[in-house]
Amino acid sequence: MTRPIVIMFLVLLLIAAGLGYYAYQLRNRVAIEEQQMARRSQVVVPPASGPTTPVTLYVASDADGSLRRSQENLALPQERSERARAVLRALFGKYSQGSSTHPIGAGADVRDVFLLAANTAIVDTSPAFADSHPSGVLVEELTIASIVNTLNANDPQITRVKILVDGKERDTLAGHADLRRFYSAGSMAPALKETP
Amino acid sequence: MPSRQTFVVAAAIALALGWGAVRWLTRPTVFAQPPEQLSVYSAQSSYAVPTITANGQQYVGLVELLEPLGTVNARPDGKKYKLRFTAPGSRELELQFHDGKEKGKVGGKDIKLPANFAIQNNRGYVPLSGVSELLTRMLGTEIRYNPAARRLFIGNIEQHFTLDLRPGAPSKLFISFDSPVNPTISTEPGHIRFTFRREPVLAAVDHASYTDPLITGANFSERDGIGELDITGNAALMANFADGGKTIIVTAAPAPPPPVLTQQPPAAIPLPPAEHPQTPAPAPAGPRFFVLIDPAHGGNEIGAAISPTLPEKDVVLGLARRVQRELANRGINAALLRNSDIAISLDQRAVSANAARPAIYVALHAANTGRGVHVFTSLTDAENYSSRDFLPWDQAQAAFLEPSAAVAGSVSAELEARKLPNSTMAAPLRPMNNIAAPAIAIEIAAPGDNVSEIASNAYQEQVAQSIAAGIAAMRGKIAEVRP
Repeated sequence: MTRPIVIMFLVLLLIAAGLGYYAYQLRNRVAIEEQQMARRSQVVVPPASGPTTPVTLYVASDADGSLRRSQENLALPQERSERARAVLRALFGKYSQGSSTHPIGAGADVRDVFLLAANTAIVDTSPAFADSHPSGVLVEELTIASIVNTLNANDPQITRVKILVDGKERDTLAGHADLRRFYSAGSMAPALKETP
Repeated sequence: MPSRQTFVVAAAIALALGWGAVRWLTRPTVFAQPPEQLSVYSAQSSYAVPTITANGQQYVGLVELLEPLGTVNARPDGKKYKLRFTAPGSRELELQFHDGKEKGKVGGKDIKLPANFAIQNNRGYVPLSGVSELLTRMLGTEIRYNPAARRLFIGNIEQHFTLDLRPGAPSKLFISFDSPVNPTISTEPGHIRFTFRREPVLAAVDHASYTDPLITGANFSERDGIGELDITGNAALMANFADGGKTIIVTAAPAPPPPVLTQQPPAAIPLPPAEHPQTPAPAPAGPRFFVLIDPAHGGNEIGAAISPTLPEKDVVLGLARRVQRELANRGINAALLRNSDIAISLDQRAVSANAARPAIYVALHAANTGRGVHVFTSLTDAENYSSRDFLPWDQAQAAFLEPSAAVAGSVSAELEARKLPNSTMAAPLRPMNNIAAPAIAIEIAAPGDNVSEIASNAYQEQVAQSIAAGIAAMRGKIAEVRP
């Protein structure tokens, strides 16, 4: 092998190693950016135009394991299931704020609310609702209780609630709270202290 | 100047080498599925640690190995791995290892492992063949290790037994131990086998032969982390416990009754098929107050991330072992539903719990939010529960809500007495609704703002004492269950 070929081979080897290292760094950077994007994704709050209606939100607090009743004025759709969805999205909007007392993870959203037999609501949530929800007995129960109580407070006819994730039944929310069952507004009330 | 063809060949070779180097540098360490386990017997606890295979070597997790023996504080830092270990009544010892290196330090002194130390997912692994020397250096006590059977004895804790055949009609073989034993018993025609998983049982003589018309021999063997005593005979054999579980009497099994053609009654609880058979050790026969502790999560299911290096599954396993010790100090027999880092489905946890028929079932959880200790009972639709002859799987707990609430109240009172912040409430926690016994779940969070305090020795000890004291206070108030 002549001297120029050896030099060229070494130079190319150096370039190949450099490209490999750059590709490795790039892969890590993409993964980090994807995580940051996921964190940035937030719930789109209900439209603020049109006449507003007072709604009651039961907002959870992780610090003391309580639900706090909160009054908000929202522009709500006329249709009953759409109203329920708008109220829940407002609740999720509160949880997605940086100062939330009960952060539930990035990208959590309510995709649909289906009303069955007048008193039953099926809440279909986004996959991120369960996938990024903090794991824990109390923290998961607080989320479910706040959803059930908020729906019941704004539509007293809704007394039974079932939560789906991505249109499907799921065993647990994040490893603890049962998502296979129906929750009744009455049964959740004594489980948690309610702070006015 | 080189020709165009030479240039292309050289470039291709260089690119291939570069790509190969990148792949080699970033290769993951591939661990095989955990097929086996190491059984460790010590004065504090008997437990099993799963072994994993990497690069042709068997490894065990360092934290899992040491946690039952004392307080462990592991600090993985990239390729470095530091661990502080304090055995009860001893001074703190620091261990230092490096991923991919054989050499490490124990208490400042060099140690050379028989194979490279490994770090995977921030967990440190030592080669199984080096565990004996490592523990000898750390604990300064005699270690007896049987590598073929993967049984490791720390200190002089071996439990021997004697065999005494008493001829008669029928003959009886008395197997006497130094302390009560709790083996799993299996039978087949001409054999009755006692499997010792938790007891450090060893035989002075591995084989005995008898010229008896009923009992013909006894063979003791060690394998797969267990000790097994096989009694052979010329007829079906059965066993009875005597002397508080210290003696097992083997004799002829009674003749089976004539078959009666009747339909079997339905099971009290419809049980789903077992996915990962893991039945906790049954308690000795006779009236008992037996507690089953269920450390949540395990394996790939880590639960909450208490910190980047501290998953919920590890926190609750450590706490479960403390609770078991505290219950033992109060004379209460308790077993762990999982005593190593394995995954068990929620349904299978309920199946195992119901099969064990505990007086009280305690599920343990940990959280990285909130403060103090939360004691939960099941949130179940009790109003829909009507039948006492048949328990629907999802309402098995409904019949036990009252005693469950009493246990929760008792534990809460003990937490209060120790001035630990606590609350009691109902929760829709799986698999609580499927448990056919008084059942509570306990979720611990940090006592203050610093979430890492959740793993502190003092805090966990206080919580464990509260749980054990609360349960002990219920002894006699809850109907004892006979297996």
